[in-house]
Amino acid sequence: MATATLTTNIEKLKDLALEVFLLSPGEFNLDLKREQIETWDSLGVVSLAVGVQETFGYHLTQDEAINITSIRGLIAVLEARGISFDE
Amino acid sequence: MKSVQVLIERDPARFVADLENHWNCKKTFACIHEKSATAAPWLSDFPERIPPAYREGHYALLTSGSTGAPKLVIGRQERSEELAGVLHSVQDSEPVRETIVALPLTYCYAFVNQWLWSKVTGRRLVLTAGLARPEVFRESLRHARDAMICLVGPQAAMLGAMFGGQRFTGVIRLHFAGGRFPQEQLPALRQMFPNAVIFNNYGCAEALPRLTVRRAEDGQAASDIGFPLPGVELKSGEANELLFLSRYRCVAQLDGEGFHPVASSQWLANGDLARADGQGRWQLLGRASEVFKRYGEKIALPNVLTTVNQQWPGQVGYYREKDRAGEDGYVLILSPPPDESHLSGLMQALRARHPRTHWPLRIECTATLPMGTNGKVDSLAAQTTEDRTLLWRQRL
Repeated sequence: MATATLTTNIEKLKDLALEVFLLSPGEFNLDLKREQIETWDSLGVVSLAVGVQETFGYHLTQDEAINITSIRGLIAVLEARGISFDE
Repeated sequence: MKSVQVLIERDPARFVADLENHWNCKKTFACIHEKSATAAPWLSDFPERIPPAYREGHYALLTSGSTGAPKLVIGRQERSEELAGVLHSVQDSEPVRETIVALPLTYCYAFVNQWLWSKVTGRRLVLTAGLARPEVFRESLRHARDAMICLVGPQAAMLGAMFGGQRFTGVIRLHFAGGRFPQEQLPALRQMFPNAVIFNNYGCAEALPRLTVRRAEDGQAASDIGFPLPGVELKSGEANELLFLSRYRCVAQLDGEGFHPVASSQWLANGDLARADGQGRWQLLGRASEVFKRYGEKIALPNVLTTVNQQWPGQVGYYREKDRAGEDGYVLILSPPPDESHLSGLMQALRARHPRTHWPLRIECTATLPMGTNGKVDSLAAQTTEDRTLLWRQRL
């Protein structure tokens, strides 16, 4: 079965968001905010935290996971931990 | 006593001629589609295993039945003729002058509703290769005169894709059976067949084949199968398992395990779940295999498939799979590959209407879904189709 090959962290983050929040590729953009995604609920927060751990090897703290309110906010948290996102 | 004759459906015209001869002489015969002739090792010598008492006045059809394992369902000719007459009445078929065949006649639905009905009522049988030869089928529809056609649910979407925008005014009866009734396609079907009365036929191979019939306009949901036919009794067993008695159904079954007579008082299950309302109207709840628990939550796949069908005009298949935690789940397959607007519309609907536990493990697509000889999606084959493309997977 055909699958895409992931290369950049942006692509990894996009894939993670699609999988966690049940988004189609066309629905994703870096400016997405939590209130725009109905599946970014409490279970979505947990799934996102688990996905970030698996994908980027960083364990979001509870406060971080709860207080991230956008894709750019997530990128900012990860960049502060040394994970680079070149758009 | 001579053994049972086997008729292989290969050339439709030749097959119909053979059917006529064998039905008329009242010797029991078995019908097998050429693609199914080697479906099981026991098919090589089964005629000798049909007891002498069943070698006159009966017929047998090969089916995958409710279990997916090939078996022969054996019916009594006179009872099936009686059912054809009942269907003629219930389906108000007197104005119908011809029936256009789009399914293999070895499929019990086409066998009884079309071939036998045409024989019993003296109507014309128009043979086609169905949607395998769309241009020929379209010509048959264009030249139809007071015609009845019998299709399975997945063919509704295929008709829309192939003949969308065209009108076939000579079709006056349009029947669906074999899987989910295409409720969402009704507006398009009514445009395509403006003079047709549309029916939801419900049954199974073991019933040979009909248990209920309802007109499309008499229900609002695909799961509404209406009321039992005269001569049919339905009841819900444990966990809503649908059980039936019918004077038209098979009198025996033959499979790799042996020959199994069916007593007239024996309630048979067909693998569906259903319940009746206070007026005796039946609603399907899904296949027993389509309702399962996932992380303690009950998942009814028919509910999810309703959402999918409302958003996606193409074909839908699915197969069951466990996730890496060992929990039951399922994978959706769409065909043809959806564009972004359809995919995002589908995902928005899934997000809005179904909690996370109800989501598929994956959404895949393929150019063509494998179909069984009966026109239904072959989910087992779909699972191993090579050209599947991953559209989405659930992060677990």
